Amino acid sequence: MRIFSFPRRGLAAVSIASTALLVGGAGALPGDCGPFTDVTTFCQEVLEIFTLGITTGATPTTYDPASNVSRLQMAIFLSRSVDRLLQRGSIRTALRQFWTPQNDAALKLTTIGGLPQHVESDGADLWATNYTGNSVSRVRGSDGMLLETWTGASSAEGVLVAAGYVYVTGNTSPGQLYQIDPSQSAGAVNTVATNLGNFPAGIAFDGSRIWTANNDIPGGISIVTPGAVPWTVTTVTAGFFLPIGALYDGANVWITIFSPPRLLKLDSAGAILQSVTVGNNPQYPVFDGTNIWVPNGGSGSVSVVRASSGEVLATLTGNGLISPVTAAFDGQRVLVTNNSSSNVSLWKAADLTTLGSFGTGTSTHPYGACSDGARFWIALASANKLARF
Amino acid sequence: MKSFQTFQRGLAVCIVAAALFCGATSSLLSLCGPFTDVAADQFCPFVLEIFYLGITTGTSATTYDPTGLVTRLQMAAFLSRTVDGVLKRGGRRASMNQFSTPQGDTVLGLTTVGGSPQLVKSDGADLWVASFGDNNVSRVRASDGKLLETWTGATAAGGVLVAMGNVFISATSIPGHVYRIVPNQPAGAVTTVATVGGGGSGITFDGSRIWTSDISNGSVSIVTPGASPPWTVTMVSSWSAPSGVVFDGSNVWVTDFNQGILQKLDGAGAILATATVGTSPYFPLYDGSNIWVPNSGSNSVSVVRPLTANVLATLTGNGLNSPLALAFDGQRVLVTNNGGNSVSLWKAADLTALGTFATGGGSNPYGASSDGVNFWITLQGTNKLARF
Repeated sequence: MRIFSFPRRGLAAVSIASTALLVGGAGALPGDCGPFTDVTTFCQEVLEIFTLGITTGATPTTYDPASNVSRLQMAIFLSRSVDRLLQRGSIRTALRQFWTPQNDAALKLTTIGGLPQHVESDGADLWATNYTGNSVSRVRGSDGMLLETWTGASSAEGVLVAAGYVYVTGNTSPGQLYQIDPSQSAGAVNTVATNLGNFPAGIAFDGSRIWTANNDIPGGISIVTPGAVPWTVTTVTAGFFLPIGALYDGANVWITIFSPPRLLKLDSAGAILQSVTVGNNPQYPVFDGTNIWVPNGGSGSVSVVRASSGEVLATLTGNGLISPVTAAFDGQRVLVTNNSSSNVSLWKAADLTTLGSFGTGTSTHPYGACSDGARFWIALASANKLARF
Repeated sequence: MKSFQTFQRGLAVCIVAAALFCGATSSLLSLCGPFTDVAADQFCPFVLEIFYLGITTGTSATTYDPTGLVTRLQMAAFLSRTVDGVLKRGGRRASMNQFSTPQGDTVLGLTTVGGSPQLVKSDGADLWVASFGDNNVSRVRASDGKLLETWTGATAAGGVLVAMGNVFISATSIPGHVYRIVPNQPAGAVTTVATVGGGGSGITFDGSRIWTSDISNGSVSIVTPGASPPWTVTMVSSWSAPSGVVFDGSNVWVTDFNQGILQKLDGAGAILATATVGTSPYFPLYDGSNIWVPNSGSNSVSVVRPLTANVLATLTGNGLNSPLALAFDGQRVLVTNNGGNSVSLWKAADLTALGTFATGGGSNPYGASSDGVNFWITLQGTNKLARF
């Protein structure tokens, strides 16, 4: 291998293999700082953003270091910085996994219980609820092996990994909350509350209490405080009609409701602080650290809402969206399950550009989804499978 | 499960707010997302990305002023928001939907470990806990908190180091010892690989050698691994009571409990620079940019820049009460308050306080580690490892 090293002034020398090719091939002359002939100070920093592709220079041999930066140029530099950092910092990069499964033949499937609904990662394993199986499956993330099946979870629906436990909503009337201690041998779930509002579905944790969205007419939310069993349940109904999804963004709990179609920001008592208009029949949203992505099952769209203001930044359509149900985020991409069309849609989360839609198998009806940081996992409701994407 | 109705639409790709992508008209005549003054050209997506990420809000609701120049103050705001956004999105907590902070001891996940647990470290999948009272080491699976193994024979176990594919334990006895655990072997007794100055729990690795802080011996021991134990030990005695050691990628740093200092060492253990910190400093931490020092006697934390050895800030309040150990999860620094039965949190990038959180009466939190998702805290008073 030939190493092209550039003579440089000042800071410690950095040699860049094949950099000459990037700036014009064999005809390019080495400069004082990498390819640049006009950089004499802060060479290391300039070379870093050149190597990372954050700048290409003013010309192949100049960087124009003394010029001011316009706001437009600044946007370009920052946007590229974000992209490169997220891509390089991702575990997918370290694992050399840059592909996206193009079809269902490239999915790894694990058979779990009947009518799987939602799934969450504990960092190593996946926990999936089986609605008609009345059970919860534990699947190892590294190889997709079914490790355990926890029983006694009637109408298991939502799932939450929090405080060292796995929590599951029992989508019954009245609603139930189940607890699994994952460090114990598999068996029956522990029922910690039996008086939630009817048909709890979505579930979230605020650091001390568990919140459920109770998917009934009119329905409401239940706030469950851990303690001696049965746990204390406070149910709030004012302002809710068929709530279904729940998430916590680090400051507030947000709930989606069917009518009117809204994303609701709640205070710590469950009162509505803000009502954001989204598409029809909003389902299970995800927070990406900045924005909340709301799949609108009735509109075939996704609303992207800025959590800090409640502003709807964009309403995404197309990209295979048909009856979207659940959104998941892996640090770079948002995946949405399309229940009726048996595919999933992907976006780059930072700029909302579409990355395509991908089949999960005919009539598999993907429902829930999550990420473990390395890959997405999708509950295929009609196939009784958990798919590694 | 409730079924729901859907409406199938065409497959046209269209970002409604970014009208330019689908050519839709807008009453605001937006060209690039909400901005009327940014052309719908190849540079628009860059502007939209930093808008969607909250790095810019524009100069007004409908303008971005693309030709305006950036002041250094604006530059600071843009870069700060970029760093925050990238760290928050890129962390594993984001991809696992874990944005909550445990608000009290009732929501901590607890695992019973050996008696009087001291320091703890993650190997990426499991936690290794040194238990002084029972002279053993506990291995706890991070994903579910299950106690997997107990390694015995670790008399006076205090510190933990995960390095070289092994787990090393520093003993606080006099003289001290370094024990080795080979984690892919069945659990059993630890192996003693070196005898060091002793008395301290501090232990770190510089890529080839293990360093221990020997608080009772006034020394730092440098242990060079060999083919078979005992490994070669070089002892440097330049301190009154060295309490902790940390490696920043270039140098080992040592805290001196009696002198209230943090010192930068060269490869032979000679002192290169000194930073004056608070009273009775314990186990320091490096966050990739700065070194954090818990000052147990002055209820403060010193934040030191390695390049200059200058103290950037001395943090007080935020519940600090006999702070002993720290952990960093990529965004936040956690400090154990051994006397306050609590932990304190800061945002590491700008040193803002994030609050104090109880760990339970009589819990006496001691050591802390992060596995990138959760913090893990040893509760010395209750013989537990807590997932935070």
